[in-house]
Amino acid sequence: MAKMTPSNPWMKPAQRQVAGRPVARPNRTPSVQAYVPEFLKGMSLTMRHFFKNTKEMMLGQTPDPVLEALEEGVTTINYPEQKRPYPERFRGIHRLTLREDGAPRCVACLCCSTACPAQCISIEAGEYPEGDRRRGYERFPQSFVIDELRCIFCGYCVEACPVDAIRMDTGLHAVPYDSRDQFIYGKDLLMAFAGRAGDHKTANPRHEPGDPGHPGVTREHEH
Amino acid sequence: MATTPPAEKPPAPPPPPNTIKIDGREIPFKKGDTIIRAAHDAGIDIPHYCWHPGLSVAANCRMCLVEILPPPGRPAMELDILRWDAEKNDYVPAKKPKLQPACQQGCTPGMEVLSDSSDNVAEARSAVQELLLLNHPVDCPICDQAGECRLQDYWLEHQRKGKRMQQEVVHKPKAVPFGPTIVYDAERCIVCTRCVRVSAELAGDPVLSIRERGNLGEVTVSPGRELDHDYTLMTEHVCPVGALTSSDFRFKARVWFLRGARSVCQGCATGCSSFLDYDPRTNVAHRYRPRENPLVNRYWMCDEGMLSYKRAHEDRLTAALVGREDATIDEALQAAKEQLKGHKNDPTKIAIVLSAQHSNEDNFALATLAKTYLGAGDFFLAKRAPGKGDEILISEDKNPNTRGATEAASTTPPRPFAELVKAINAGTYSYVIALGSEVDVDAAEAQAALGKLKGVVTIASHQGPLAMAAHIVLPACSWAEADGTYSNNPDPVLQTKRSNGDNGATLQTQRAERALTPQGDATPGWKLVAALAQALGYAMNWKKLADVRAAMGTESSARSAAVVEAVAVKPEALA
Repeated sequence: MAKMTPSNPWMKPAQRQVAGRPVARPNRTPSVQAYVPEFLKGMSLTMRHFFKNTKEMMLGQTPDPVLEALEEGVTTINYPEQKRPYPERFRGIHRLTLREDGAPRCVACLCCSTACPAQCISIEAGEYPEGDRRRGYERFPQSFVIDELRCIFCGYCVEACPVDAIRMDTGLHAVPYDSRDQFIYGKDLLMAFAGRAGDHKTANPRHEPGDPGHPGVTREHEH
Repeated sequence: MATTPPAEKPPAPPPPPNTIKIDGREIPFKKGDTIIRAAHDAGIDIPHYCWHPGLSVAANCRMCLVEILPPPGRPAMELDILRWDAEKNDYVPAKKPKLQPACQQGCTPGMEVLSDSSDNVAEARSAVQELLLLNHPVDCPICDQAGECRLQDYWLEHQRKGKRMQQEVVHKPKAVPFGPTIVYDAERCIVCTRCVRVSAELAGDPVLSIRERGNLGEVTVSPGRELDHDYTLMTEHVCPVGALTSSDFRFKARVWFLRGARSVCQGCATGCSSFLDYDPRTNVAHRYRPRENPLVNRYWMCDEGMLSYKRAHEDRLTAALVGREDATIDEALQAAKEQLKGHKNDPTKIAIVLSAQHSNEDNFALATLAKTYLGAGDFFLAKRAPGKGDEILISEDKNPNTRGATEAASTTPPRPFAELVKAINAGTYSYVIALGSEVDVDAAEAQAALGKLKGVVTIASHQGPLAMAAHIVLPACSWAEADGTYSNNPDPVLQTKRSNGDNGATLQTQRAERALTPQGDATPGWKLVAALAQALGYAMNWKKLADVRAAMGTESSARSAAVVEAVAVKPEALA
């Protein structure tokens, strides 16, 4: 049962007393009561920023939100038009690196999906067809799917990859989508992402079977 | 023991027992044993590539080198070598004992062998590993053997350092098809000749050989031939590295994702012990591996058997059928009750079909239902038609449990299915309760005969004539989805060979473990029999497999004893 306060003038409809103490009403001075000066004060601030931002936008003088903060203590930025620079080793959305000829570097060894603690990578391996120079040397992912919703961005897949085929250096993060299935990234999408430098190359030093300089696969070649 | 009484006259020393010492541990050996075999039998692992307990000795990989101490009073056999001295920055003359391959050196009583405890042996193993990996492509990421590769294991155990050679490795042919089942990669090959010996000694078809020498050595197929005998997958199985890969398993799975269930091959009546490797994440069986069993298959399995793991997924019945339409098991049981309504009036109108494809437990359950509750005594046997056999492992009888199903009917041995067809055509029966789906008579003929009956209820794991002809089909678990025991029945020629101490098989009742989670509505066969009995109003209250086996144990037949014995074997002993 609510504790009754004798001085409480507020009653609930059923003549029950309201619990607690009443809040003191603000002291309404005439300057507060006449709201126009306060209104103008507020609007002037708004308009000042409006004109300043418009001018900067038109002239291309928008300051960098991080390096040249607008004003002391102002930390908001116009995301997503503006983005904070991510640290160099930021782990973003995965990408599959490519070879010279645009084929995926991945050899479908499943080391990444083995290392993945979230079990978000699923790969089906395929064999290069008869006559392909890589047949016998390597295999390729027939399908390579990452569930970016399950992914915890730990980077273990990148660590585990023996051929530098998967990287998280896109600088992108998963964007909000309409539906869950849009977060399931397939091979083609993962291959389409470029690294931060804008290229799809891999740092894997292994040379390709069939490259000039590769000793070849037949015993007739000189060893 | 400080004070020993002065010795009077020492008695003549007893002849040394048939034991050798490995690293100070005394182990027994049999006459003719090599060191590695005595150690293998005692559970001591001496690293090796080319030696295989089921094959002849080649002694070419040099991984099993051990140090043998000289007999008391004799000098050690030593070699003069130059050993690198870091202080002098030069090679200095030194001595090193001559190491012996444990796979070739026979045991003599009292022999003292140093394996893991000798620095010389450790050095030799590391050197052998470095040599074997000198020209290895190290393409573990794409190699199917990765995860169960001796090169990987022994590198970690005995080498643990990089190779010093900096030249380009020797390149050799890759992905060479040897035949319909095997793909060969010469770069990964260590030329241990295990595959050559399997072909020659197990299959009796010396189709493989080695050509060239040294680092150019590679395995080749005889000109004009393919590797196509009945045991080609054994060449892949014995390959300690990834040189031979099975085209069936190639690139399908990584072995570290697989679990191996101790199973029994369902391909023929020999009943080879095997591991059924499956991926528990996807519930898919990927391959068979032979499981060492000296009484049945020793170390081997045939190609047909090795590929029969596919039956775990092919042609499976995963839902009950009522008149060919999918139904739930409850609906099917209700329909079965309707169909079998009049069976109590005349038990002689019921024919019971046992299955040589199903486990002892399933057959026992159906036989019990027939004898104890229905009062039916007419048993028939559904089995796959016989096929080709050989004198190595393959049996002509293509059913895993012919003996078990025959013995399940105990006093009245089941008659062939052809007689059932004749009897139905003669109007002897009105109802058939059957286990299994395959028959050894013409499928159309069987279906036509069964179509005439009032009620045909079949409990089957796979599609087949018997399941097609049945009015009501209950989906049973396949061997891969339920625990069960199977009584093999190898061809007499194999049994005779075995009794002569040769490669062959003996009569065994073996347990197969569950590997996969049942697919769809599949339920163990004995459970369906019990459910059917309850639907018909009989108190057959088996809840778990142990209940069935306990009921079997109360029977005093040899079969029950065998099942009880097979189940009692500790799983570790089967590995």
